[in-house]
Amino acid sequence: MTDELDPIRRLRPDRLLPDDPPDPEVLSREKARLLAAIAGQEENPAAAPSPSIYPRLAYRDEIAALEFLTRAFGLTERREARMELAGGWLAWLQLGDGLVMIGRAGEEHHGLRSPLDAEAATSMVNVYVGDVDAHYARAKAEGARIAMEPEDMFWGDRRYEALDLEGHRWHFAQRLRPR
Amino acid sequence: MRESSDSAVIAASLAEPGAFGVLFDRYGAVLLRFLTRRVQPADAEGLLGEVFRVAFEHRAGFDLARESARPWLYGIAANVVAKHHRSEGRRIRATLRLAGRGVLGEDPAELAVRAADARAAWDQLAGALDSLPGPERQTLLLFAWEELSYEEIAEALGIPLGTVRSRLNRARSRLAGASASPGSPPQTPSVREAAHDR
Repeated sequence: MTDELDPIRRLRPDRLLPDDPPDPEVLSREKARLLAAIAGQEENPAAAPSPSIYPRLAYRDEIAALEFLTRAFGLTERREARMELAGGWLAWLQLGDGLVMIGRAGEEHHGLRSPLDAEAATSMVNVYVGDVDAHYARAKAEGARIAMEPEDMFWGDRRYEALDLEGHRWHFAQRLRPR
Repeated sequence: MRESSDSAVIAASLAEPGAFGVLFDRYGAVLLRFLTRRVQPADAEGLLGEVFRVAFEHRAGFDLARESARPWLYGIAANVVAKHHRSEGRRIRATLRLAGRGVLGEDPAELAVRAADARAAWDQLAGALDSLPGPERQTLLLFAWEELSYEEIAEALGIPLGTVRSRLNRARSRLAGASASPGSPPQTPSVREAAHDR
């Protein structure tokens, strides 16, 4: 669409500057405030986890990935933070106090590639769960490809590894020894 | 998985207020982006809460015959912006300056020759946008920045379709004098300025 309004379109602040997504914290916090106000309560102190480090995983089809990760691996989407952009969705998924961000693969998306295109996984996401055997059973039943069967490890974890739809590698473990 | 329509969510929230959180899930990010385009980013976060509190209080007035609550929420957000509005031009000029600090990491070989002129033209356009009458600027930016349709704008602002058209036409002709079609993107001149600063 090109017409005499084009200069105005180009003045849009997020076209002038790189369009980085907002901090999902803002949306989670404002939603918690809204719900607290609606319920007539004091502000909800139970904040969503905000780890200092979290990975961003890239997919050819991030929408299918979002569906798979919640269904098979039991991650919970922070729905209020989702950005349904024309060039690809961004979503934040949490499990326990951990967080991952997912988005579309591509040169224009920070140059991140899907393992399908890279023909290799170059990282692994490590996740601790309460009951690793139950997690394994669910993931397997939902069609996750199992890379390593559940096994007790000498350092005190029981773990298995699975691949998601595009080959990102996930390591799920349970701590067998109390810490 | 078929999601319930916005109107079903709002209808449910009349009996069960907590259900209104679903609307935040659907439109919180969209409206935060809208607000961040129009006011200083630090102010946008606070205004987002205000938009949804106003929407919640007025939810009984939502026309349940409508499927989508998007135009309605945009209308509330536009009102909040109008009340908050100090200087739209200042917001845009601040962005022009930021873009000028070389944060985009362009190739210096692509510098425009008439850089300074282009920068002045963009500044002039930002000023012209700022001096538009409020209702015209509101209509223009819902169309050009938010990409709402004429029908959605009419619904958001509660005005007839013909008024949307006439406001857009007036805004266009007012801007025609000012814009003088700035040719090069605004970041190009400022890169050269940034290079000189070093």
